[in-house]
Amino acid sequence: MSDRFDIIVVGGGPSGARAALAASAQGLNVALIDEQSAIGGQVWRAKNASILSAPKTHETRAGDALRRDVLASDITHIEGARVWQIETGWTLHVLRKDVSSELTCKSLVLATGAREYVQPVPGWTTSGVLGLAGATALFKQSLTPPGKRTIVSGTGPLVFFVASEIRRLGGEVAAVVTPNSRRDWMRALPSMLGRPALLMRGAIWVADLMLAGVPIYWQRVVTDVSGDDQVRGVSIAKLDQNWARTSEDIMLAADSLCLGNGLIPNIEAAHMLGVPIRHDHALGGWIPETTEDGGTSIDRLYLCGDGTGIRGAEAAAHQGTLTGLCAAADLGHGTVNLQKQAKAKWLKSARFGMTMTALSIPRVGQAQLTTPETIVCRCENVTRATIEAELNAGAQSSNAIKSGSRAGMGPCGGKFCATAIAQLIAQQSGAPVANIPPATPRPPLRPVPLSIAAGSFDYDALPIPKPAPL
Amino acid sequence: MIYDTAIIGGGIMGCGSALRLAQGGQRVIVLDQGDLGQGASGVNAGTLSLQIKRVKLMPYALKGHACWEAMGKAVGFAKTGGYTLAFNAREAALLQERQTLKAQAGAPIEFVSNNQLRNGEPNLTQQVVSASYCAEDGYANASLTGQYYLGKLRDAGIEYRERCEVTAIERDKNFKLTTPQGTINATRILLAAGAWLKPLAALMDVHLPVQARVNTVTVTERMPPLMSTVIGHATGLLTMKQKANGTLLIGGGWQGLGTPQEGRGRVSVDTVRPNLALAQYAVPALGTARILRSWTGFEANVPDFYPLAGVLPGVEGAYVLGCVRGGYTIGPYISQLMGDYILGREPELPLFDPGRDFKEGTI
Amino acid sequence: MIRLVPNHALKIVRSAPVVFTFDGQSVEGHAGENLAGALLRAGRLHLRNAPANGGPRGAFCCMGLCQECTVRIDGQVVEACRTEVTQGLAVERAG
Repeated sequence: MSDRFDIIVVGGGPSGARAALAASAQGLNVALIDEQSAIGGQVWRAKNASILSAPKTHETRAGDALRRDVLASDITHIEGARVWQIETGWTLHVLRKDVSSELTCKSLVLATGAREYVQPVPGWTTSGVLGLAGATALFKQSLTPPGKRTIVSGTGPLVFFVASEIRRLGGEVAAVVTPNSRRDWMRALPSMLGRPALLMRGAIWVADLMLAGVPIYWQRVVTDVSGDDQVRGVSIAKLDQNWARTSEDIMLAADSLCLGNGLIPNIEAAHMLGVPIRHDHALGGWIPETTEDGGTSIDRLYLCGDGTGIRGAEAAAHQGTLTGLCAAADLGHGTVNLQKQAKAKWLKSARFGMTMTALSIPRVGQAQLTTPETIVCRCENVTRATIEAELNAGAQSSNAIKSGSRAGMGPCGGKFCATAIAQLIAQQSGAPVANIPPATPRPPLRPVPLSIAAGSFDYDALPIPKPAPL
Repeated sequence: MIYDTAIIGGGIMGCGSALRLAQGGQRVIVLDQGDLGQGASGVNAGTLSLQIKRVKLMPYALKGHACWEAMGKAVGFAKTGGYTLAFNAREAALLQERQTLKAQAGAPIEFVSNNQLRNGEPNLTQQVVSASYCAEDGYANASLTGQYYLGKLRDAGIEYRERCEVTAIERDKNFKLTTPQGTINATRILLAAGAWLKPLAALMDVHLPVQARVNTVTVTERMPPLMSTVIGHATGLLTMKQKANGTLLIGGGWQGLGTPQEGRGRVSVDTVRPNLALAQYAVPALGTARILRSWTGFEANVPDFYPLAGVLPGVEGAYVLGCVRGGYTIGPYISQLMGDYILGREPELPLFDPGRDFKEGTI
Repeated sequence: MIRLVPNHALKIVRSAPVVFTFDGQSVEGHAGENLAGALLRAGRLHLRNAPANGGPRGAFCCMGLCQECTVRIDGQVVEACRTEVTQGLAVERAG
C-alpha cells in the first residue's frame, strides 16, 4: 500500500466517520483508518464476530446507521489498522495484520477521540477493576458483564449507563457510587430538558436500579479496593461539595468494580505534530488549539471530535461533518452553506455535551483520594510517595518527574497517569494545572514490535553514512 | 546582587562547572531555558564507551569514565564491558585500524575470538566477522542527569533558575542578562547551552560555527535478558544496551529532523528503521520487543569536531564550554577543567581554544 | 419483579466454542471474540505481572491503550483486548 488519498481520516468514531463521509460526498478520494474491525468508535463500538445475534439497543442502532452510511459511500475503510507514526506532509505509517505500510494524503483529519480518567485510589490496579468506559467497550463488543456482582462508580451519566448495561447483560449491580450530588444533576436539568429522549433514557436507568433495590450512593466515592488478583470489595466515603472526604469509610462487597472520573481528549497525535495545546477544564483537560471548523496552525491538518474537547457523540458527529466539509473546501471542493448548517448543529449539541462533561470536572478534593502508597503510574508501578519525593527534590514539571521517577515511561506512554501527576505537581507548587502540561509525547503512537517497525531489509543495502571522525 | 559567574545552560557542562566554581568559593547561578539536565545531557543514550571516543580525546574520556563511576548508583552507572562488532571484511578493517589507534591512546581495547564473543553475548547473530572488547565500557541512565545535578546544586547551595531563557546580554562593568525572571548581574558568564550556543553567542555579536546533529534514541518495553554488555558497531551507527529493568536502549547517531531554533527535534522514520534493523541484525531475538518511544536530542559540534572550552573570542569575562564529541562521557570531567580555568587555576589537561581556526580536522 | 431494563443475557447467541490455553490451562472462548473478553468470562483476570512488585494486573481500558491486559503469544507481547481467540492458541501471562 502506498496509495495517495486526498484526505485520510484517522479514527472511525462518529466524528471521524462523519468527517470522511462529508469529504467523500464532495467527490474526494477519502480513506478512513481505524483500529477496530468496524466503524463506530468507542461510543458506537460494534459487536465482535462471536455474537451471532442479540437484541438491538440505542447504541447498536446508531452504530449500524453509521456503518451503513460508510459502506454505501466511496470511502476506503481501512479497518483493524493502527497508525503508529505520522510524518508532516502527510505520510502515515500503518500497522495492519503484522505488516507496516505507508499511506499518503494531501490533507489529514485526526479524530482520535477520548480515553478515560480514573483517579488513582489504593487497589485500583487490582485485576478485575475496569475503567467505566472500558466496561462499555467490553459490553458493546463481547456482551459480557464484568463479573457476577459489580460495583459501578463514577461521574456523569456514564455511571448509570454502565449499571444499566450490566443489568441488561444479566449481571448484578451491587451498588452505584457517584461523586455527583442530586443537586449537581438538578443544575444540569434545564439543558437536559432540551433533550427529552436522552432524559427519558437516563430516568429509566435510575428508576430500574431503584426498583431492583440497587443502592445509589450519591456524593460518595470509592476510596479503597480490596482484593489481590480479584476484587473482594471496596470502601466508600462521603464527599463534600469540593469532593473532599468528609466521613468514615463503609465497606461494600463485590467481585468486580467499574471505576471512572470522566473522559479526557486523546491529543498525543496532534501534540506530536506540533499543534499547540491549552488546558480547558470544561472540555476535559488539555486540548489542541483548533479553529471552530477544525483547522490548526499546521497546513492541511484538521482535528475533530472528542479529541478536541469532550462534547459527546452527537456534537462529535456534527463537528466531524463540519471539519470534513472544511477540509474538502480547502482542497477546492464544496460550498459554504453546508458548513453553516453543520456548524449550527455542532454548537447546539456541544452546549448539551458540555453540560454532561461539567459533571465530571475534577474538584480540588479529588486528588487527596490518591494516598502516598497508591500506584499512580500503572505501567511502571510508581507511587504517589515516589513522585512526591521527586517533587521535594526539586522536580517541577511532568518531564522532570518522568525522567527522575519513570512515571509515564511505560508502554501506555503516560496516558493513564499524566493527569494525576499534574495534580500532584500543582498541589505541591501551588500553580494551576493549566500551567503544568503533560510530558513531551514521543512516537510511536502505539507500541510496535521492533521487527515490524524495522521492516524487511538487506544488510548490504543498509545506508551506512561515513564513520565518525577518528 | 552580582554573581561571580552566571552559567547559561543547566546540563552536565553547566552544572559540572557550577559545582567546581562553587567549590572554589565563587557565588554562581545556573540558568536554563527548560528544566535542568533535560537537553542533550538527559536524552542521549547514556553510552559510556571508550571504543567510540576520538583518539585525541581519550585522556579526557578515561577521566570522564572515572567521574561517572564515582557518581555511581545515583546516575544509574553500570560498568558492563562492551563489544564492537564488524559484520564484513570492510568493517573488520575499519575496526582494526580505529581500535588499534584508540588502544594506543590508552583505552584498554582488545580484539576477541569468536568463542569469547559467544560466551559473552550468546544472543548475538552468527554474522560477526570481528569484534573488539573494552572492559571499561558501560552506561549510565541519562534520564537521571537532571535529578542528579539538581540535587548536587541544592546540596552545594548553588542558585538555579529553570524555564529562564536568556534573551539579551549587555556588557558594561558587569554582564546583565535579561530573562523572564528578571535581570541577572554577573562578573563573568559561562555559555554552556549545547546546541543553543550559536544564538547565545550571537547575543554578544560573536559568531560560533556551531552546528547541531539530531541524534535519535529508541527504547523498547521490558524484555527477558538478551544482552549483558554495551553492543556497538564498527561504523558507530549502533549502540545498544539492556538496562537492569529489562528495557533496551538503541541509538547510534541516526539523524532526526528539526533544529534547535525550532525548539524541538522530530523523529524520522527513514532513519529509525535502519537503526532498528541494524539492532535486530546484531541480536535477532530483538524482533519481538515492542518499541515504546523514540526521541531526538541535539548534539552540538564545530567543523573540526573538537570541544569549545575556553574564553569566548573577543569578550573579556565570557567563557564557553560545549561541542564536546562524547560530551556525556567527558562532560563531568571537562567541566571541572573549565571551572579550574575560570578560577585562575591551571587545568589538569589542556582546554580547547574557542578562538581557533576551524579548518576540518585541525586544532 | 418489574424490570425497566430487560435482561438480554438469554437472547444472545454466540458462535461455536473454541478452546485455547492460558498458562497451559484450557479456556473456552467463542470464535471471533477477543482474548480479554473470553478470559474475563472464564474468571481469568490476572493477565500479567507488574514490574517491580509483580502485582497482578488485568484488562482495564479495554480499548488498546493502557497495556494492562498484555499477554505473550509465541514470544510476542500483545494486547488481549485486541487479539482474537482461535482454536488451540497458546497464551501465556506476560511480565
